[in-house]
Amino acid sequence: MRTAERVRHDGGATPMAPGTPSAPVATGKERMRRGVNREGLEAGRRGTRTLLWVLLAAAMVLYGFPFLYLLFTSFKTPIDTIAVPPTILPREWTLENYANALGRSGVPASFINSIQTAIISTVLSLVLAVPAAYGITRYKTLSGRIFIMAALVTRMVPPVAIGIPLASMMASMGLADTPIALSIAHTTISLPLSIWLMSSFFEAVPKDLEEAATVDGCSRLGALWRVVIPVVSGGIAVTAIFAFLASWNEFLFALLMTAIRSQTTPVVIANFQTQFGLDWGSMTALAAVYSIPVILLTLLLQRRIVAGMTLGAVKG
Amino acid sequence: MRISDRRFALFLMTPAALFLAVFVAFPLFRLVADSFFKISPIAGGSREFVGLDNYVRAFASEAFTGAGWRTLAYTLVVVTLEFALGLGMALLFTMLGKSSQIWRTVFMYPLMIAPIVAGLLWKFLMIDNFGLIGTLLHQAGILSDPNQIGWLSDPGIVLYSVAVPDIWLTTSFMCLVLFAGLQNIPGDLIEAARLDGARAPALLFRIILPLLRPVIAVALVVRGIDAARAFDTILIQTNGGPQSASETMSLLIYRTMIRFGDPGLASAMGTLYLLAMLAVAFVAVSTIWRPGKDN
Repeated sequence: MRTAERVRHDGGATPMAPGTPSAPVATGKERMRRGVNREGLEAGRRGTRTLLWVLLAAAMVLYGFPFLYLLFTSFKTPIDTIAVPPTILPREWTLENYANALGRSGVPASFINSIQTAIISTVLSLVLAVPAAYGITRYKTLSGRIFIMAALVTRMVPPVAIGIPLASMMASMGLADTPIALSIAHTTISLPLSIWLMSSFFEAVPKDLEEAATVDGCSRLGALWRVVIPVVSGGIAVTAIFAFLASWNEFLFALLMTAIRSQTTPVVIANFQTQFGLDWGSMTALAAVYSIPVILLTLLLQRRIVAGMTLGAVKG
Repeated sequence: MRISDRRFALFLMTPAALFLAVFVAFPLFRLVADSFFKISPIAGGSREFVGLDNYVRAFASEAFTGAGWRTLAYTLVVVTLEFALGLGMALLFTMLGKSSQIWRTVFMYPLMIAPIVAGLLWKFLMIDNFGLIGTLLHQAGILSDPNQIGWLSDPGIVLYSVAVPDIWLTTSFMCLVLFAGLQNIPGDLIEAARLDGARAPALLFRIILPLLRPVIAVALVVRGIDAARAFDTILIQTNGGPQSASETMSLLIYRTMIRFGDPGLASAMGTLYLLAMLAVAFVAVSTIWRPGKDN
């Protein structure tokens, strides 16, 4: 059975989404063992493969270089940072830029604000999106279809269009300049995305599962909580990562809705430009510190993330 | 006492629906309402109904029509380039097969970088005087002077320079989606075409691209909408300058609201911008996306 094999290959990452064509799906184990006798688009001839590897190496260097240059620059001395002509590697490796950046007032607090805002927003998105997506996919009502359409249309709204009215709403609710206000704003971005992702995950859960549970005397809510949720826990993790990243990297709402107290790091990075003249060294150091945790997270959880990104887009 | 399935579904959806109604629909309503007023930017300032005056002013201003065209050009450039690059990378990864898996992961890393950081990074590479790109091109003998091309200071090219970080950030997304699509093409089909003597270009244009059409459509729509809303990368690189040459719609609305303190006019621009986006979204969703339908 082809489908069964797919599920097994997809295995670890997302057992609940058998239709997801993530990377390892198409390459069967037997095919790999034979090696030479490749199928479809995979190149077989040795010369062709060497050429392709060279191309790939060139692409990776071009693609990876900008961020490496940011890292190298962050280790230069503040003067070398803006030397003319610039050098690629630091003439002298130092942590001065890091000390300057992290020692500046407001920077450590902005990290706490970023973490706080992202966590609140992630939890809020999941709490709202999981039941909603379940209601949409399991019962297929007219209201559900209208709702998922409306949620998708929400995704098209330019943040700049609702940012200002939203900011004044928060102010009149007494939430001005708080992580709560900003995380609510971030949830307007991540909630539609979360509903969309979770719908795809629920779609893959066989209906018999809760039917069996309800026959055994579970209520519908009980079946959702005790039977369905554990099955889609991988999908919930993917959705959580996306909601977290959406908030962690967001800038426009943060710029409009925060002042001193709840400023997140992206706003602080941008402010380096104006407040303190052009302090490139500190900016690169802070940008590196802010980006590296999420890059590492990506590398650790890459299979789940790939599954989440391609879901929906490639379905059917 | 069991409520009907329909009620139960509604009960599950209500919290999310209420949230979106309060925090998205209501601000949108405020935006549209504000567009008919002349509003003083001072808190508690005057508010005077002016009918369609703000819309007339928007269409009459060169800043608005200019920003509209620039947004369109920016979106086309970003989406076209990242589609071409993303497809190239996806084909490369597919042709290399499983052995390229680790590089596929590494290739994804820009997706996790904040747009503000990406904008900063590329500004640092392209900036006059100590920008590395000009220097490297000079050292390679391509430019006679490192500052010959003012990537971010020449109004003629700045709109394309500010698009670079956006392309760099999201080519990975294109690649990922197209790669997944490519894995769904049955190998037999390619083999059969090869046996029939199809060469690489024919294979690409007659078989692969037509089979990928639905995936391509979705990827282009998703990215097109995102690119049309670009804000962070442009703000940090040029703040819309020089001489508004890189001022797209998001930036113009932001500046009209914050810098020029004209909420009424900014709301009218925001409303028009939103209507244009919704029109595109509506056409896209109804023709290709069709979420919630069984496949």
